Amino acid sequence: MPQPVQYRGMALIVPDNDSEWKEFYEHARAHRLVVRKCNACGLMRYPPTHACPWCMDLGWTWQEVSGRGTIYSYEIVAHAIQPGFKALTPYAVVLIELDEQRGKPTADEALRVIANLVQPDFTPEPEANVAIGKRVRVVFQDLADHMALPQFTLTEEPAQGRLWRLPG
Amino acid sequence: MNTLRDKYCIVGVGETEYSRSSRRTTRAMAVEAIRKAILDAGLKAADVDGMLDYQGGDSTLANSVASDLGIRFNFYMDVMGGGSSTEALVGLAMGAIEAGMCNTVAIYRSMNGYSEFRIGGTGARAAQPVRGLDLAQVPYGMRSAGQNFAPTFMRHMYEYGTTSEQVAHVRVAHSKHASQNPKALLKERVTVQDVLNSRWIVKPLHLLDCCLETDNATCIIVTSTERARNLKHRPAYIMGVAGRVSKPRLDFHWAHGPISRVAGYYAKDIVFPQAGITPEDVDVTGSYDAFTFTTMLQLEEYGFCKKGEGGAYVSSGIIELGGKRPNNTSGSHLCEGYTHGMSMVIENVRQLRGTVDDYCPRATDGVHTYDYSPGHCRQVKDVEITMNLGWAMPATGSALIMRR
Repeated sequence: MPQPVQYRGMALIVPDNDSEWKEFYEHARAHRLVVRKCNACGLMRYPPTHACPWCMDLGWTWQEVSGRGTIYSYEIVAHAIQPGFKALTPYAVVLIELDEQRGKPTADEALRVIANLVQPDFTPEPEANVAIGKRVRVVFQDLADHMALPQFTLTEEPAQGRLWRLPG
Repeated sequence: MNTLRDKYCIVGVGETEYSRSSRRTTRAMAVEAIRKAILDAGLKAADVDGMLDYQGGDSTLANSVASDLGIRFNFYMDVMGGGSSTEALVGLAMGAIEAGMCNTVAIYRSMNGYSEFRIGGTGARAAQPVRGLDLAQVPYGMRSAGQNFAPTFMRHMYEYGTTSEQVAHVRVAHSKHASQNPKALLKERVTVQDVLNSRWIVKPLHLLDCCLETDNATCIIVTSTERARNLKHRPAYIMGVAGRVSKPRLDFHWAHGPISRVAGYYAKDIVFPQAGITPEDVDVTGSYDAFTFTTMLQLEEYGFCKKGEGGAYVSSGIIELGGKRPNNTSGSHLCEGYTHGMSMVIENVRQLRGTVDDYCPRATDGVHTYDYSPGHCRQVKDVEITMNLGWAMPATGSALIMRR
């Protein structure tokens, strides 16, 4: 069993029998963002779930996605709870809507992912650059031989929809 | 609609002091709160034969507190849960009695939410290892309740133009209410500007948008209307209850939008038909204030105003004492102390009895001045119907409608 990965004072535990996350992080370590795709209905889901939330089928395969998407919502943490994050404040936590499967199977559903909005060196993107509607792509922060964290960074693409950030 | 309307009541309520340093165990606090509720109801320990409690690995189980009080169970259960558990357990207590399993149920919550297991997530909670579903959020510095909920409010601001100023009025109203509450930890009235000038915790939430971590225990007692007839107080009759109703994809509720929609969207269609009323019939609300905006989001989702107009509703004066439909008249989680929801049900029971424990000299006899200037009355006149809107998180909530 791999040892817990220490990251910013947290023990991240992904044991060999973690049937949801272990392979997800192995793909991430190879810098692939994967989601589960249902063998029966073809819909993709994140985070990894055991059965399909739409058709209850147990069959699935890992499906690589482009890692491109749009900021759907966000927050700026000014007061960190975890000691290892105090030096990073203010940092952005973003809810990313991936380009694949937007508005499916119903208009209100999408593949959405939580991550930090980071610069190329994985430090937080300055708050002034964080806004709903901005385009992003996935990058991978290597943590150990068997684990990397998906993160997101801004791209040069034009905003999708209305660009908005918290006033002030 | 299958309904048990008016067949069950809350007959006793009790709580410990709200403090930041209880200097005792959750067992000791639970025993005090349950004992007070039993005495408040005019019951004896032997009359209580059921117990339900909720916690998150931070409290004492029913077996030891019951033994302290000399209670023998016909039914008990310890439940994992935080906010929105109170209303849900009221429904489960009714079900247990209806099934013939027991007669009278005490429901409690006890926590050293500031001095031991800080509800805000620092200390012991922040040090917990990260595994399973937590891996989807916690490694990104998203662990506390504020951090877990803030993107919901941010998206609401984007979609509906809701502002920080508007929800600050929730704090203003609840601080006004707390100024009439001898139990409240924060009795000083604040202004909108005070909220906006307080430091950022997690944008869009300021410090004063957040509730107050507290040490306390609380208890309510549920029994049948038949049993309630000979007890001490006018019962608070339960008209309708919805327990821990959820949005789809509870594993990761962000997957199912609009994320500005909360669980009340589903719960309202359960609880209002049971009670046979509409929001217009409700005199006092208890919309859970983990944060200012959670009060706002639920009030609009349950139909006290149109969806998206919650900001205008909470800043209109309606929710303040003296307004059309005051919310959380004790000052509740933002100002009185954080209880995971039980205190808001206790407050509404007292409002229905007409015996709110304010600064009126004869408050316990039900004599009030209705003077809402600081340091006086917080009893609402002629309260007929109250409603609690319990919040666990955006995707899970409960509701409870009571009448006098």
